Amino acid sequence: MNLLGVMEISGSALTAERERAEVLASNLANAQVTRTGSGSPYQRQMVMFGTRKASEGTFAGLLSGFSDRYAQGVEVKRVVADVTPPVQRYEPGHPDADSQGYVAYPAINPLEEVVNLMGAARSYELNVAAVQATKNMISQSLEILR
Amino acid sequence: MSWIDTPSVQALSEYLDLAAYRQTLIASNLANIDTPGYRTRDIDFAKEMRQAEDRISSDPLAPRAIAVAGLMERPDGNNVDMDRESLLLAQTQLQFRLGVELLRQEFQTISTAIKEGS
Repeated sequence: MNLLGVMEISGSALTAERERAEVLASNLANAQVTRTGSGSPYQRQMVMFGTRKASEGTFAGLLSGFSDRYAQGVEVKRVVADVTPPVQRYEPGHPDADSQGYVAYPAINPLEEVVNLMGAARSYELNVAAVQATKNMISQSLEILR
Repeated sequence: MSWIDTPSVQALSEYLDLAAYRQTLIASNLANIDTPGYRTRDIDFAKEMRQAEDRISSDPLAPRAIAVAGLMERPDGNNVDMDRESLLLAQTQLQFRLGVELLRQEFQTISTAIKEGS
C-alpha cells in the first residue's frame, strides 16, 4: 500500500485524457479538410481506453513492487479511424470535386466533438482532484514524524 | 509487541493502511471513468477493520477489493459513479487525517512519559 503508486494511477489518467483531448481537437480542426496526404478527406479519429496495471513502467512500481490487481491505471490502447463514409456536398467549382461535382467532406459533427472534449476536461479535473487528495495524505503522513 | 508498539498504535497503523488502500481503489476507479467495461471496486472498510483486529499481528494485511453492486451502468459497461467516488475521496482523506492525528497523539503520550521520567 503505497501512496506514491496512487499518484501514478491518477497520473496515467491525466495522460490518457489529455491524449483524448488532443485527438478531439484534431478532429475539430480538420472538420473541413477534404484532402489529406493520401488524397482522401480527413477521417475522424477515436481513442480507445483500456486499463493498465499500475506497476507497469512506472517509477513507483519499480520501487515498491506495487502490484495489486485492482489498482489499475488507464492508457490509450489504440487510436482508430471512424469508418463512416464521408459526407458528399455538391460544390462543382471546388478543386476536390469529382466528375459529378460532389466534394467529400469528413463525417464530423463539431457538436459531438465539443461535448466529448468537455467530457475529457471534466475527467481530467476529477483526476487532478484525486492527485491533490493523495498529495495531502502524503504530506499529512509526514506529520507523524513531527 | 513492545512498549512503543502499543495495541492502539497497531490498530491505527492498520486503519491508515486500509485508508491508503481505499485511496488506491478510488484513484483507480476515477482513472478508469472513461474505460469501457470497467467495474467499480471498493473495500468493505468496517469488515476489513474487524478482520485486521482479529488476525495475528504477523500476518500481512490483505484487504479484499470487491465489485460494488447497485451502481448504474452506462451503455459501454462502465459503472463508475463520479459523485460516489468524489465523496469517498473526501471521506477517505479525512479518515486518513484522523488516523494520523490519533497516531501522533499516541506517540506524543509515549514521548511525554519518556521526558517526565528524567
